[in-house]
Amino acid sequence: MSNHLSKQFDLELEHIRTRILQMGGLVESQLQTAIDAFSSGDIEAMQQVVERDREVDANEVGIDEDCTLLIARRQPTARDLRLVMAVSRIVTDLERIGDKAAKIANKSRKLHAVACQRIPRLSEIRHCARLAIEMLQSALDSLARMDIDTARQAIGADKAIDAAFNAILRQLITYMIEEPRTISEALDIIWVVKAIERVGDHASNIAENVIYIVSGEDVRHTGAARMRADEA
Amino acid sequence: MWFAKLLLRGLLPVGCFALLAWLSHGPAWAWAVAALGCTLLVCVHARQSAALAAWLDAPESREFPKAGGAWGEILRQLADKLADERRGREEVEARLLSFRGAMDAVPDGLVILDADHRIQWSNRAAGAHLGIRLPRDNGVIIEHLVRTPGFAEYLASPDAHNPFALQAPAARTRIYTIRVVPLGDANKLLVSLDVTDARRVESMRSTFVANVSHELRTPLTVVSGFLEYFTDDGALDAEQRRQFARRMSEQTARMLTLVDDLLTLSRLEAEDAPASEEAVDMAALLEQLRTEGESLSDGRHRLEVICQGPALRGNRKELHSAFGNLVSNAIRYTPAGGEIIIEWAVRDGAGVFSVRDSGVGEIGRHLPRLTERFYRVDRGRSRDTGGTGLGLAIVKHILLRHQASLSIASEVGTGSTFNAVFPDWRLPPWK
Repeated sequence: MSNHLSKQFDLELEHIRTRILQMGGLVESQLQTAIDAFSSGDIEAMQQVVERDREVDANEVGIDEDCTLLIARRQPTARDLRLVMAVSRIVTDLERIGDKAAKIANKSRKLHAVACQRIPRLSEIRHCARLAIEMLQSALDSLARMDIDTARQAIGADKAIDAAFNAILRQLITYMIEEPRTISEALDIIWVVKAIERVGDHASNIAENVIYIVSGEDVRHTGAARMRADEA
Repeated sequence: MWFAKLLLRGLLPVGCFALLAWLSHGPAWAWAVAALGCTLLVCVHARQSAALAAWLDAPESREFPKAGGAWGEILRQLADKLADERRGREEVEARLLSFRGAMDAVPDGLVILDADHRIQWSNRAAGAHLGIRLPRDNGVIIEHLVRTPGFAEYLASPDAHNPFALQAPAARTRIYTIRVVPLGDANKLLVSLDVTDARRVESMRSTFVANVSHELRTPLTVVSGFLEYFTDDGALDAEQRRQFARRMSEQTARMLTLVDDLLTLSRLEAEDAPASEEAVDMAALLEQLRTEGESLSDGRHRLEVICQGPALRGNRKELHSAFGNLVSNAIRYTPAGGEIIIEWAVRDGAGVFSVRDSGVGEIGRHLPRLTERFYRVDRGRSRDTGGTGLGLAIVKHILLRHQASLSIASEVGTGSTFNAVFPDWRLPPWK
């Protein structure tokens, strides 16, 4: 990145970026494991996701502390300040995604504990989840490479997730209308799908923060990034 | 050396002219000529230096300066040296390019990291394995791109004997192992290896072992069950004893066939080619197959043998085993009253051994997996018929060793045909 007179400062900045990306990797794998367990019914994997969520939380606290310390000690300016500010926002998004993974694992446990399954595990859910995971991956990749184009693409992908979410919702409503006994199961599935859909929103926030770091442009709630992603 | 040469070449003519002027017109003229000569000399040198300096400013656009005399010599040598250097550089570049090409052709992913784990260089396979692409990712810290939990820890303290297993970040369908070895003083070389296929073979092997154990376990359970009765002396009368003993010997016979088949398979796998080859009299072999088939069928099927082809070059024992397996399969899977036709003929120059049955012919959708070990079309039925599940695997192996191919045609209702097609050079006349 930038060259400072103090090499130590550079190292500290890189260290923060490494930590946040490592946390991102952990959250990625949490989400993937949770989705896999949702389809396969692997109770042990669900348990593991729930337990590792504590690790994600510890990461959040640690990185936040690093950011505060860095601001206090180095008084960063311009791009460095933007990086630190964005990291402390991204960390919140990542932690939320981690929570969603834990939530998916919890709901799957409940869904699989019931003896009979009236609603088949829709393949659309897997598809939707894959979109969300890919979106998170490209958002983190854009942070690793400081690449605005990838970030814009990630933001654009959120639309596809929303569309998939609505399609699944319609399908579940059909099940519920036809057979009222499926309602409680369908509601649990809706929780899972909603969590996946929220992952997309958080990933899009991460990508917006990357754009903020690189160009200094705050594209939150403006739709500017989305529009440009459509153009691209 | 150069100093003396330049001085001499420049000052000698000036000195000569000055001397001439002294002798003809006197000392005042000599001084004037010398001064003029020196001024001229300085001007000439300045022009040459200026030309060289101008060329050095923009070597691509300007022509290389030319001159005569001492300057010419200097410039010529400089030009030679530059050409030499350019040639050397081109050679190194060509070598580097071919080396890069070779590195890109390596199927393993290679990434060179510096002390801070920044990517210095990577080959093409690394792009496919880890998503690293140059020059985009030049200087990026690798932990930023490969974020799988545990990878950073492995990179910090690599263990060459214990590679790190990584699932492909994109589709998670492929598995890679990653090794890190030190390179030079501080650099590291990261090697990624696609082990998806190896893992698949591993799992196939373990299912094979599970299958074998299962196949052996069933008869063993029966035998040990009967043996428990035998230890209890008074419980059995002579008739029961005889009956149990017969059942036990049936089961042990089954185990023996299974072990025999396994041994045959492992022997076939161990050697590439049959030990010896001879001209096999097909008429006699087919006759033998008919006799064996009839005893297995016990009069429940009608067997027909048609031998129209010449002798076949191959290993008689192996061919017998392969053909025998095809015939016994046909007998097992054809209901009583069916018809089985064993035929040896020459079609389109190739020798074709075929076994046609009038069985159920429902194996169509199982065709691709039929020659897998222990693959059964119908789990419940086949074990009762006495097959080991290894027959077609053995057939496939033997035919491969004879460069022959197995083709299976099957239609519901009309039965199945197994064709073993041998290449023409296995038929007479042999060279």
